[in-house]
Amino acid sequence: MRQFKNLVKPYILWSFLLIIVPLLLIVLYSVTTGGNSLVNIRFTLENFKKIGEPIYIQVFVRSFRLGLITTIICLLLGYVLAYVIASFSERAQAILILFVTIPMWINTLLRTYAWISILSDNGIINSFLTLIGLDPITMMYTDFSVILGLVCDLLPFMVIPIHTSLSKMDKSLIEAAYDLGAHRWQAFWRVTFALSIPGVINGVTMVFLLSISTFVIPKLLGGGQYVLIGNLIENQFVSIGDWNFGSAISLLLAILMLLMINITKKLDKQEGGGDL
Amino acid sequence: MKKLGNLVLVAALALSMLTGCGSSDATTLKVYNAGEYIDKSLLSKFEKEFNCKVVYETFDSNESMYTKIMSGEQYDILVPSDYMIERLIKENYLAEIDWSKITNADNLMDQVMEQAAYDPEHTYTVPYFWGSVGIIYDTTVVDEADTAAGWDLLKNTKYAGNIYMYDSERDSLMIALKALGYSMNTTDTAEIDAAYNWLVEQRDTMDPVYVGDDVIDNMISGNKAMAVVYSGDAAYMMTENENLEYLIPSQGTNIWYDCMVITKNCTQTEMAHNFINFMLDEENALANTEEVGYLSPVQSAYEEMCVSTYEGVSAYTIPDTNNPLNEVFGYQDTETKKYFADVWTKVKAY
Repeated sequence: MRQFKNLVKPYILWSFLLIIVPLLLIVLYSVTTGGNSLVNIRFTLENFKKIGEPIYIQVFVRSFRLGLITTIICLLLGYVLAYVIASFSERAQAILILFVTIPMWINTLLRTYAWISILSDNGIINSFLTLIGLDPITMMYTDFSVILGLVCDLLPFMVIPIHTSLSKMDKSLIEAAYDLGAHRWQAFWRVTFALSIPGVINGVTMVFLLSISTFVIPKLLGGGQYVLIGNLIENQFVSIGDWNFGSAISLLLAILMLLMINITKKLDKQEGGGDL
Repeated sequence: MKKLGNLVLVAALALSMLTGCGSSDATTLKVYNAGEYIDKSLLSKFEKEFNCKVVYETFDSNESMYTKIMSGEQYDILVPSDYMIERLIKENYLAEIDWSKITNADNLMDQVMEQAAYDPEHTYTVPYFWGSVGIIYDTTVVDEADTAAGWDLLKNTKYAGNIYMYDSERDSLMIALKALGYSMNTTDTAEIDAAYNWLVEQRDTMDPVYVGDDVIDNMISGNKAMAVVYSGDAAYMMTENENLEYLIPSQGTNIWYDCMVITKNCTQTEMAHNFINFMLDEENALANTEEVGYLSPVQSAYEEMCVSTYEGVSAYTIPDTNNPLNEVFGYQDTETKKYFADVWTKVKAY
């Protein structure tokens, strides 16, 4: 085994160059001013102070709210879907899981554009509504369109981990629960659900983290007035050119995410009760 | 095993160097232009004519182009807008144009060459397209009489919830400043604050949607009554949907120029000049303006388009450069730029 350690070396170099160095640069940018060139930098905490302005706090609050709503909807839909899939035979399960992942083969941007032509004021749904004599409804550029886009995009990230933990489960445990006098609901809640908690926590973490840092979907389905953390960061880097402030927001977001991962891991240990 | 590990490392490094430096082919020209801003067949025509290879890449805004070249990416030819050119000249990023090599220079309109505050002597720039910013509106929804209000049409509550604004701090604040009768090149924060209030008021009463290039498809399919657009996009939209009409507000607007420039680190100077000259050729310029819809700076191509593809399309007309209310929107110092950006974030993310 010892000799194989050498094979890891290129990867260490790789991750140093592509992960550690950029991260350190973000940290450096976030505590300095002086623009992009790093020629005449000055250390400061101004960038972090700026995040404290009400307008930016609002952006954070809005992003977290949206992330929470998306996660809850994904959890409800995803759990049911994963549960139904897990009840099929193994071969059928493989095919059904494939169906869940197929949309991910298509570029997110393309799928989002498809939603635009479905939801827009003169889109497919509204054309149909006017055809049958109903008033058209505005769906684009609202909370509805953004959440719909996010849920569709992120649902596989919820279904797959939950399905994995459900299909790994020993079915005889449920039978044992029935034998010991549990109702269907009790058996589900105290055996099936309890055993799938690691999958649920994985799914929730992934969906939540992806939804609070997204920027393409809100931009296209929510319009420019839908400013979330991701859009704010993108703006700082791409159009405004204030890399220092952008880095400070990114760093804060990264720290918040790390904290959340830590908390969910602790929850996992407490409630999941370890491996069974 | 150690040797194998090192071998993998060397191979990985060698691979990354190969892809990093590009090829050693002596006649590769790297061109960086805005998206959907050229007749692509011209590129293969140029490659054939001059026996070279063109690497053509596109950007979605001047700012993202600037970010990319500042991060070290190198190109031979860029096509930025006037204010970005001013910045690049100031930062010493451009090489001078050798006008003796641009034999098609005589094809250029006098108007475009005379009024160029961004580079008065055209030391670094060769015009590519130009135009104005205005309002495109659906004539079946918008009352013709209301258009006399100019930019204030965007605040007419009759059309609340029915308008697209352009998601850009420069264009939006330009509109507000012109609507209030100020210059778009102001550095007076009191005037910018007034413009901010104009935009906030518009946001609250009109519920506009701030969009990017998706406005083109949206207006063609008639989703909303009006939108702020660039003249060339307007010309294209008007050929696709005949109910659309273009308005240059009476309070004045932004007249802008996009130019071809050669970068300081261009190694194919000869070929770069060939490319610029090629684009000014009457036949090529005609093909380009017909495809893209923006105003050609080449006189003959412009005249030909006015009586053919874009006949009667009001967005395809030379803007009034003699009207003192129409301005070129110059490069802003860092402080004003930041102020604009902050104000715009506040308008959007309330």
